[in-house]
Amino acid sequence: MNIITSFVRAIGRAAITTSEHAGGLGLLAWHSLVATVRGRVPFKEILAQAYAVGVQSIPLVMVTAILSGIVTSQQGGYQFTSAIPLYVLGSVVSSSIVLELGPVLTAIVFIGRVGARITAELGTMQVSEQIDALYSLGRDPVPVLAAPRIIAGTIAMPALVGIANGVGVVAGIISARLSVGLGSESFLYGARLYWHSYDLFYSMMKALAFGFVIPLIACHMGLLTRGGAEGVGRATTASVVFMIIAVLVSDAMFPPLFLN
Amino acid sequence: MIEYRDVYKSFDVPVLNGVSLTVEAGEILAIVGPSGGGKSVLLKTTIGLVEPDSGDVFLEDVSVVRATPAELQRVRRRVGYVFQNAALFDSMTVFENVAYGIQDDEAKKLGRAEVARRVTQVIEEVNLNPSVVLSKLPSELSGGMRKRVGLARAMVGEPEILLYDEPVTGLDPVNTAAVDQLIKAIADKRHVTSIVVTHDIEGVLRYCNRVALLEGGKLRFVGSPEVFRGSSDPLVRAFYDREAAATAAREL
Repeated sequence: MNIITSFVRAIGRAAITTSEHAGGLGLLAWHSLVATVRGRVPFKEILAQAYAVGVQSIPLVMVTAILSGIVTSQQGGYQFTSAIPLYVLGSVVSSSIVLELGPVLTAIVFIGRVGARITAELGTMQVSEQIDALYSLGRDPVPVLAAPRIIAGTIAMPALVGIANGVGVVAGIISARLSVGLGSESFLYGARLYWHSYDLFYSMMKALAFGFVIPLIACHMGLLTRGGAEGVGRATTASVVFMIIAVLVSDAMFPPLFLN
Repeated sequence: MIEYRDVYKSFDVPVLNGVSLTVEAGEILAIVGPSGGGKSVLLKTTIGLVEPDSGDVFLEDVSVVRATPAELQRVRRRVGYVFQNAALFDSMTVFENVAYGIQDDEAKKLGRAEVARRVTQVIEEVNLNPSVVLSKLPSELSGGMRKRVGLARAMVGEPEILLYDEPVTGLDPVNTAAVDQLIKAIADKRHVTSIVVTHDIEGVLRYCNRVALLEGGKLRFVGSPEVFRGSSDPLVRAFYDREAAATAAREL
């Protein structure tokens, strides 16, 4: 009986926590939208955040894209040799990168580099009473802190995914030439053979969704932080887990919604 | 005038247990009591940073509890809040921190030169040298300087009420005395209503008009510093003797 009661309680607690987070995220998204539409979000702050979350993420995104392009190309080449015409590798590599690896790996890099930073930053502001100080000065933290980060993330992510897609495919071409001797003309022939322009649109839709969701969750978790330095650590860890799950779940929802 | 009406608040355990208190305009009220007694929570209810579970807080005739977000924002603009650790914005310079206390619409009306003049004036008022501190980041300041900048930021909007949360905690005796003098001087010069939450019992008794002892979420004493010092109530006596001994030990 005790086990059943505990189980039901645990489910109940999880349901309450999930609902609270869902409500909190919805409210934060709504308030950010209202603040943006009313022109209350400082443009200077959006630019500063776009630089911090976008431009400064480019090197890491490029390294990740190059490695994913190389690995996809080499593993595909290994499987296709003597089995399938090698030019198909061009399609496999470019489609894998544009449809999946580019957006998802960039999102994971974004979570580690930007999402964690936002949660830790806002969490530290929360526990050191800087958020209370904003309220006490008659300022709303949403247009000042959350909205610029969410807007910057939503703008920066498609650009980063575009870079990751391009760099990843180029790395794939070079890797295919070096590992299985597939020339760039044959690679591009294969890539064009199965290419749909819609794939790029699909990739950008994913980028927009991830670019909105990651800073939204990061800000939400940061503003909920309680309990000093330890609390900031706990909130950052929880936020990273939450963001990864959100990205992977929304990624899994894209094919049935947009590819069928 | 500030009025707390039967304020209850609990965070798992009760923190405020039916606090009712009135603070008259222009008065300096000291709230003292042991740690965890609910002093800072009571102060935060004044501008809605903490919402009471029941009861209400009034600033003149405006209910802080029932105020709409816009009304609450207007209420907060009338109040300056000095946080325990100053709560300065790390990424802003001292100038930007203090200027942030002036609302955007007002700053636009005033113009850059007037904002700069006001910032310089309040920095001087808290006994800091503007040419030295204005371009510094909070991380480059000492604890005492940070508290003064926090006070300057609270003052720059010319509030009617100043709330101090542990303004001298962590300061050496010299800085403690200086901040105490500053609080008194500001109250006299600007005719602001002040509430000071503090552990520095001897210091605050020298300049406050009334003192309130908050223990276990309840007000155990409200009265003048003289009556507080001479009180025969065992609870007040025990607290006063304990805190006076602690202050003397710190000063040694």
